[in-house]
Amino acid sequence: MSLQSNTAVGGHYESALLWVEDHLRWILTLPALAVLAAFFVYPVGRALVLSLYQFDTAGRHFVGLGNYVAILTAGAFWQSLWITAKFMFFAVSFEVGLGIAIAFVLNSKVRFRGLVQTIGLVPLVISPTVVALLWQLLYQNGGVLDSLVAPLTNGPVPWLSDPSIALYALVLPDVWQMTPLVTLIVLAGLQSVPDHVQEAAMMDGAGRMRRLIDVTLPYIKELIVLVLILRIVGTMRVFAKVFVLTRGGPAKSTEVISMAMYREAFSYGNYGRASTMALLLLLIALAITYAFATVSEVEF
Amino acid sequence: MATDTQLNRDIGRTLLAGVERIHETLDSYGLVPTVTNGIALLFVVWTLFPVYWMVSGSLRTRSDLLATPPKLVSTALTVGNYPELFVQRPAFYEFLFNSAVVTVGSTALAVLLGTAATYGFVNYEFPYNLGRFHLPFLVLTTRFLPPIVTVIPLYVIFDTAGLLNTRLGLMLAYAAFNIPFVVWMLKGFFAELPDSIVEAAVLDGHTELGAFFKIVLPMVRPGLIAATIFTVINAWNELLFAVILTSNTNAQTLPVALATFKTAYAIQWELLTVAGTIAMAPVLLFAFLVREKLLRGFTMGAVR
Repeated sequence: MSLQSNTAVGGHYESALLWVEDHLRWILTLPALAVLAAFFVYPVGRALVLSLYQFDTAGRHFVGLGNYVAILTAGAFWQSLWITAKFMFFAVSFEVGLGIAIAFVLNSKVRFRGLVQTIGLVPLVISPTVVALLWQLLYQNGGVLDSLVAPLTNGPVPWLSDPSIALYALVLPDVWQMTPLVTLIVLAGLQSVPDHVQEAAMMDGAGRMRRLIDVTLPYIKELIVLVLILRIVGTMRVFAKVFVLTRGGPAKSTEVISMAMYREAFSYGNYGRASTMALLLLLIALAITYAFATVSEVEF
Repeated sequence: MATDTQLNRDIGRTLLAGVERIHETLDSYGLVPTVTNGIALLFVVWTLFPVYWMVSGSLRTRSDLLATPPKLVSTALTVGNYPELFVQRPAFYEFLFNSAVVTVGSTALAVLLGTAATYGFVNYEFPYNLGRFHLPFLVLTTRFLPPIVTVIPLYVIFDTAGLLNTRLGLMLAYAAFNIPFVVWMLKGFFAELPDSIVEAAVLDGHTELGAFFKIVLPMVRPGLIAATIFTVINAWNELLFAVILTSNTNAQTLPVALATFKTAYAIQWELLTVAGTIAMAPVLLFAFLVREKLLRGFTMGAVR
């Protein structure tokens, strides 16, 4: 743009370089910001507009806040939020609880600890789609899980086809996949406690219990908050496992929020209503992010 | 708030006291190593079995794989399922190709733009910073957005822009979703560089831009590698965007093929296990090769 040769010797090349140097902060950040604007801000704006329309076979027509009223007063939206919350509660509890417990076990003298840690990476790098298939195979009628619980049950368990079981059958693959994340993060925290700090506490006569509370806990407190955030956000967006294993069924018993929105948009073609749900979910996600940013000391 | 913290602390102490009592009891019988090694072994078996089961399934006949009760080890292994998958579903070549192209393209874009932006955010003040909610924070907030929120309007946008069913569209979408991730991973690396590095380089006669390429980038290389690894894995594994933004073999990726593999009649498990294994194999191999970096990456930002 300002390529006029205003330097005595440099000419075009030099002045272009100068221009680049002067505007470096924008050259560095604007491309990324432009992509983010196009893929986050613009879609949200578009959703705002779409949410004011009703889509049906006759095309689309303006309904004002009709979609909002319809969604907030009908039970389906709340129902899918409730199902998501249940999934979140059970998955996060098991992942964080088991994850921390295993981290403590691995932090004591365990053989082949490095190898065990590496094995913990396996579920984390596999696609949630494949994880769902792994479990679908294990859930086969008369398959591995059925024969594992056979002593306790009469015949095969309808893991994915009984509305009262299916949601828990979705929690299990998530626990399988994400527990190692908690373990790896907490274990790294435990290993970052310097030996000399532990030793100093021991010299001072602090018992094992004291040391755990006063020395170890401060090192992993923030990490536990971090994994909680990561898993709450992670379970809120669960989609692939539901899509592969149950598609929200049976009898909508596993229709988590992202599945409900998918169906609204792509089975019923009602982009207006789906966009409205998207915006409501956005508000919830922002509230959760804001709450964590305010409460926790974790740096974003 | 204060009582909450107190309560949490009490719960924590009670739990720890319980753990401590168990530990002491075991210790008095000399059983601690047995129990910890046992739990570690259980963890390993629990983690590896489902993967073993799928991989072994890909090498078995259908009846052998679905036998009741299950045969944990098969004696009749076959590799015939592998060519059979590509005979029965030749589109798998295209799914593989689409996955590879989209993964490489989106990773290159995300790492390039994300690195530049992180460097900018860390080194410069911006006029649009508003207290705590300055722009870099907002960029990272997008990391917490459920992707379903943007993908529905994005479908409508892609439809008008002609980007539906294109690898380019998917590539851009993945790049956009991975940029905040790259920023998050790199932030620490850039922040740890002393300010004087660029100044010293400029005094040495480098331009600021030259200093960035010749001095700063090599110093944050471990971060770049980690960010690249994670972006590759994210893109290779992604389902939601792919299943919504593509509907034919022009751009459909492997996860879409897997998620929609079921026929109206039954699941061809002997072929689906092959497809699943093919989808897992590259990331598992990749993860094994870079396991040290990956371990550090998963715990990065968490531990300083």
